[in-house]
Amino acid sequence: MTATTEALGNQHSTRSKSRILGVVRLHFMNTQTFVWVPVIVLSGVWLITLLIYWIISASGVEGPMYSGGSQAPLWYFAVVGAQAMNLTFYFSQAMSLTRREFYLGSLTAAGISAAAISTIFVLLGLIEQATEGYGINGFFAYLPWVWEGGPFAAGLTYFALTMLVFILGFWFAIVHKRFGALILTTALLVIALVLLSGAALISLNGAWLEVWMWVLETQSMGLTLWALGLGVVFAAGSYLTLRRLTV
Amino acid sequence: MTSVIDARDLTKKYKHATALDNVSLSIEKDSIYGLLGRNGAGKTTLMSILTAQNFATSGDVEIFGEHPYENARVLNRMCFVRESQKYPEDATAKHAIATARLFFPCWDQSLAEELIDDFRLPLKTPIKKLSRGQQSAVGVIIGLASRAEITFFDEPYLGFDAVARQMFYDRLIADYAECPRTVVLSSHLIDEVANLIENVIVIDRGRIIMDESTEEARTRAVNIVGDADSVQRLVAGREVIHREALGRVSSVTILGQLSDVDREFIADANLDLTPVSLQQLIVRTTQADTTSSNEDENTGPLTDTDVRSLQS
Repeated sequence: MTATTEALGNQHSTRSKSRILGVVRLHFMNTQTFVWVPVIVLSGVWLITLLIYWIISASGVEGPMYSGGSQAPLWYFAVVGAQAMNLTFYFSQAMSLTRREFYLGSLTAAGISAAAISTIFVLLGLIEQATEGYGINGFFAYLPWVWEGGPFAAGLTYFALTMLVFILGFWFAIVHKRFGALILTTALLVIALVLLSGAALISLNGAWLEVWMWVLETQSMGLTLWALGLGVVFAAGSYLTLRRLTV
Repeated sequence: MTSVIDARDLTKKYKHATALDNVSLSIEKDSIYGLLGRNGAGKTTLMSILTAQNFATSGDVEIFGEHPYENARVLNRMCFVRESQKYPEDATAKHAIATARLFFPCWDQSLAEELIDDFRLPLKTPIKKLSRGQQSAVGVIIGLASRAEITFFDEPYLGFDAVARQMFYDRLIADYAECPRTVVLSSHLIDEVANLIENVIVIDRGRIIMDESTEEARTRAVNIVGDADSVQRLVAGREVIHREALGRVSSVTILGQLSDVDREFIADANLDLTPVSLQQLIVRTTQADTTSSNEDENTGPLTDTDVRSLQS
């Protein structure tokens, strides 16, 4: 037994890596949450948007058409984040995993999903560019403002935003488990009030024009960096909350 | 003997209740422990803290000499099977068992497959759609096949019928013989596990009230069977914890040990001594503790009867 223990000790770092990859597999066990629903949301919204474009173009409108429909799968990632926490954390504890291993594995799983969906997004955008909006000048994934820095930058933007939304959903689910619905609701209200007071401050100073100018100037690459920065902050917050979560 | 678990002064307080009250214990390597007690006594809380799934308000835990919290080296060697384990939403028994194989270093796949057959566990049905007993079987299979150096079973047989429970006990003993390890089995079916466990820890309202070998525990009481009048003469003035009668024959369980004089009397009156039910002993002890809670903690509730003798 002692020999086994020592051998295990030596393999510790490799074991740790394989345990984190195990958590990734654990998450993808929820194929419905992690694979099928995102695929259905994305393809459903894509189909609906194209139908609307087709109706519009059939009625003789010629200008390029853009929509916010491609945001839909992005928002769904808040649900994926919450589900990743709710469905798998307790089983990961039964598998004798540390909270750290669960956390790193969860982020890796989210990263894989976000990368996959960003890739699909970029491919759709490239197709739209090549076919001039499916021949009817309608664009779902190709939004000029996001694509200014090229396909890679657009993909990175989509990836960063998806991760950010996932981490928020993940964190809210941890807060809910640890402190209960009352605290979570209060926290969400406080966040809403903070955002609202920010908006009020801008309005009172008549500064909306400057804000929009700033958004335009930072461009999508700036937005990506902001999303990544916030993502890191929220990820750190969720780790600190998870560390003391009990079963 | 070396201890693999050492807990010192564990206290767990919730807002309105104290789940554990100054619990200290050590658990030896390669032995089967019964963690017994009523519902809400603190069994699950204790096991959760030992596996770092919950945190003590105060006190220390050492597993294999290290603190288990966020310690993969230690957690790796433990397996905790909960009474109502939650599984990922879409998981089937096949998924769960394949995952366990990934994480437990001593996993025995052929044992897992035998157990799947034994319990007739459907592998492709989502776990949430399995019957309660089948869900419990998933946990039991993971717990046994993990062959973890310390395995905790928290009332693992919920929804099991008598056959499945016996199968679990038989499998546990057989595999323990083949691959000795430390097992902590929490249960309220005391008589069923009595022959399985080598050590008994009784917890009541967050406090350990018995922590000794099963053999020692049994010597706390004796059971006398025979002619009702003779039995009555022997047990007069002693604390009787159980009594059954059928015509002229009665069977009485008393607390305390027998003196030589007692044994002579038993031989002369043609009475029989039979093994004591651990369940009766524990039920009686937990009740005694409830009624006389201001008794000195160190001497325990049984002391006054222990010293009583036939001559008095």
